[in-house]
Amino acid sequence: MTTTADIEDMIARMAMGDRAAFDGLYNATSAKLFGVCLRVLGNRAEAEDALQEAFVKIWRNADRYRVNGLSPMTWLITVTRNHSVDRVRARKAKQAGSMDEAAEIADSNPGPEALAMASSDRVRIVDCMGQLDPDKAGAVRRAYLEGETYQELADHYDVPLNTVRTWLRRSLLKLRECLSHDG
Amino acid sequence: MTDEIEKDEERLLTAEYVLGLLTDQEAKAYEDVLAVDPELRLEYAFWAERIAALTDDIAPVDPPAKMLARIKSDLFGAEAAETTATKARSWLDRLGLLPAMTGGVVAALAVLWVINLYIPAAPTVTDPPVLSAPTLQAQIAAEDDSLIVLASYDATAQVLTVQRTAGQAPDGRVLELWLIADDNPPVSLGVLPDDETGQIGIDATLIPALPGGVLAISDEPPGGSTTGAPTGSVLAVGPMTEA
Repeated sequence: MTTTADIEDMIARMAMGDRAAFDGLYNATSAKLFGVCLRVLGNRAEAEDALQEAFVKIWRNADRYRVNGLSPMTWLITVTRNHSVDRVRARKAKQAGSMDEAAEIADSNPGPEALAMASSDRVRIVDCMGQLDPDKAGAVRRAYLEGETYQELADHYDVPLNTVRTWLRRSLLKLRECLSHDG
Repeated sequence: MTDEIEKDEERLLTAEYVLGLLTDQEAKAYEDVLAVDPELRLEYAFWAERIAALTDDIAPVDPPAKMLARIKSDLFGAEAAETTATKARSWLDRLGLLPAMTGGVVAALAVLWVINLYIPAAPTVTDPPVLSAPTLQAQIAAEDDSLIVLASYDATAQVLTVQRTAGQAPDGRVLELWLIADDNPPVSLGVLPDDETGQIGIDATLIPALPGGVLAISDEPPGGSTTGAPTGSVLAVGPMTEA
């Protein structure tokens, strides 16, 4: 069983150039991180590329890990998720460029369905997300897990951009309030 | 703006940053403040930890068996071609220390909003921010561990204690210690002692630059660089971090 302390230790040793620690970290975390890539990118080939690039970043940035104040899994997930989102956005930008009218068509698609609620009840955020309107919680998930921008959220919910920003921000404050009670 | 409203605004900007909803420019401005604002850093960690938990229900999937070998060949195949020195220099470049911004994140973004129309574009989500915390120790290490020097700064004595735990100066050369802060050129802190441990007094004018600074060691002729800048290879670097 790999503990948080084990992962922290492997990252610290990676920062010093320890390649064996990199193997250990890969073995302990790659399946989870690949799951994240697949979830964000929805495409196996792209997810494989993203995972490969994310691990390159993780190795190269291991020296920065200690000062950013995150737990090790959060840091690894954040690097991987952000990299995957960058790929999604680059793909969308490319599609927008190559197919002029495609935006119209894409926007009319219903988009992936209201995502299933997390099964884990140990995490407070699931409870707090459950206290938001389903649309608002869905928007938070779309932003984080699909890399949607305010513009995309506005298109999806068919409201003006400023409106979506205002209601999402209101929900985020509510979420913050709820999360701060988690002790 | 009352404090409470400003506090809420900070929380919101942090949530939007974590969710990737800020524009590139906004995210950059946010990171500049994050680098120098410990309270904002706590707020960032608060959101980042909890939002990352949204991935808890994502099932692990084994990547293809050859993936690890592929990553390592990419990574270490390429790295082998780089010398330690160029590696260290690029590391310094990558650290790209952020300008110290004051006035908080709300003020920083307010300035940004005044000078830019809010045009939502698909921003590039960045890596978790590089944080140069106000700090008092550093591990100055070569990429391959061929040289490691631990440095710790005692604010009361204004003395930096250095301890060399691996490596030594090349024959007939000395190791010189440099402080790099913000965009400024390296400032010499002195030549490292031949002994494994020693102390270096820090000039009072350099003390404000220590938190968030980067220490680097270069290979110099006996007596140290005479030009005021590193003349030999940069052998090792390490950011100052909280003790």
